[in-house]
Amino acid sequence: MNKAMQAIIKKDFQSVASNRRLFISLLIVPLVLTIFLPSVFVLSAYFVPDDPDIQAMLKLLPVSPGSDSTSLLLMDLIFNYILPVFFLIIPIMASSIMAASSFVGEKEKHTLETLLYSPLTLHQIFRSKVLASFLLSMLVSLFSFLVMTIVVEAEILFLFGSFLLPKINWLILLALLSPGVSLIAVTLIVRGSAKARTMEESQQGAVFLIMPVLLLIAGQFTGVMLLNAWILLILSFLCIGLAWLLLKKAVKGFTYEMLLR
Amino acid sequence: MERILSDNLSKTYPGGKQALCHMSLSLGAGEVFGFLGPNGAGKTTTVKLLTGILTPTEGSCLVMGYDPSKEPEKTHSLTGVVTEHAQMYDHLTGLENLLFYASVFNLSPQEGKDRTRNLLERLGLWDAANQPLATYSTGMRQRLSLARALIHDPQVLFLDEPTSGLDPESAQSVNSLIRNLAREEGTTVFLCTHQLRYAQELCTRYGLIEEGKLLALGTLEELQKQVRQGALLQISAANIPETAAFRKIGEMRYEKEILSKEEVPILIRQIVESGGDIYSVETKFPSLEDIYFSLTANNKEERK
Repeated sequence: MNKAMQAIIKKDFQSVASNRRLFISLLIVPLVLTIFLPSVFVLSAYFVPDDPDIQAMLKLLPVSPGSDSTSLLLMDLIFNYILPVFFLIIPIMASSIMAASSFVGEKEKHTLETLLYSPLTLHQIFRSKVLASFLLSMLVSLFSFLVMTIVVEAEILFLFGSFLLPKINWLILLALLSPGVSLIAVTLIVRGSAKARTMEESQQGAVFLIMPVLLLIAGQFTGVMLLNAWILLILSFLCIGLAWLLLKKAVKGFTYEMLLR
Repeated sequence: MERILSDNLSKTYPGGKQALCHMSLSLGAGEVFGFLGPNGAGKTTTVKLLTGILTPTEGSCLVMGYDPSKEPEKTHSLTGVVTEHAQMYDHLTGLENLLFYASVFNLSPQEGKDRTRNLLERLGLWDAANQPLATYSTGMRQRLSLARALIHDPQVLFLDEPTSGLDPESAQSVNSLIRNLAREEGTTVFLCTHQLRYAQELCTRYGLIEEGKLLALGTLEELQKQVRQGALLQISAANIPETAAFRKIGEMRYEKEILSKEEVPILIRQIVESGGDIYSVETKFPSLEDIYFSLTANNKEERK
């Protein structure tokens, strides 16, 4: 990546940071998902009655034995199998606004033509736009993870007097699967943005694209977390490979003329 | 090496509109080329073809030795473009905008800062450098666009109506900047405008375009010859001999059409020798405006 691409990424970051409304909405949704909801989970796990039905359900799931407390087992289940799924949703949501406006936003402000007169190829401009949104998604994701870990662990320590250990699956998801899925989504949304003629068109496309993906992921991945780490690892690499391929092929057939139409 | 070379360059839009028709021209270093024509004549299309934003449907062009439709990024690193549609970011200040484009053009931070300051001062924008672009007037935006196009010291500068919307003072500072660039640094300037008087002040060579066709190409003198309009000799005098055959146009005011400036001393000597008194002499050659209207009128007649 050269200096010119870095300049575009930096400029795109600045424009998000300078738009206070956008910046706040970027932070609120992840905070709701990573502070409010987990706290509700922790509290409900704490107050869960010692019901034999719940005991029976827990026996069916591969939660780590070693604790006799139903509440702690339930918390372990939530922490290691349900919360990770949020980290597939958060980065896509966080980056979708920026990605959807990446090209069409510049087109509407008449700044795209100026950018096209730069000594960068279309592919480099496209990659800069994708990278900017992708980095934002990863930053929001990492920030949310840190906040969530601190809040949840503090709550558990306060209520149960112990810590919960994250499993290896957490690491794989956070470091590989989540970036892979997020890069696929960002590339597709930025591509949509380059083809769209208006901001509405681009945002509608992004929602049309993201919603099914989000539902699909949310539905399926609680189960995937139950799989062993190797399968998760393979799945992550498949996603990363697909993302790389998409990024490489996405601008094929793109012309300046088409972008400025 | 020719800076801009186009050969039979043509562009027909997908809708079937032929915007440019077989244009051939070549421009060298230090030339200020005035590309003149009414709105919709094909001026902007030509700039877009020469900068690689559009792909020609026929013919080809080279800018700084590169084909802009095949290697646009190489052309862009050596050219600067100012057009109405190439705007900058409203939420950034004038200075931030220029520094951003400086880094996009791979200037080092120090180079970028020096160049930005120099250009802002030359274009009278230094006092407004730290204001957001949103607060700039049209004229200030236009001058900032010119600064942006010059940030990487381009060898070819494309200007599409650079002074429309400028007040006379700013227009003058823009003009002197363009003139200096061409004279001192040998920058080739491709200037599109429909303001003919403005073009005549600045350009060394002209191209007249109408409905996608290049009607004429050359220096002012070459164009004057092409339309075969002579000059008009106007004098203030008394006791003019009848043989001189001047037309009286007012109190002591006379005029006569001549074919070349060589006729002037002969006519004046004739008047003086036969006892006439001369108070003033003025030779009016056809202006760019006269030539332009004469050529476009010819074109319309031909089409009829």
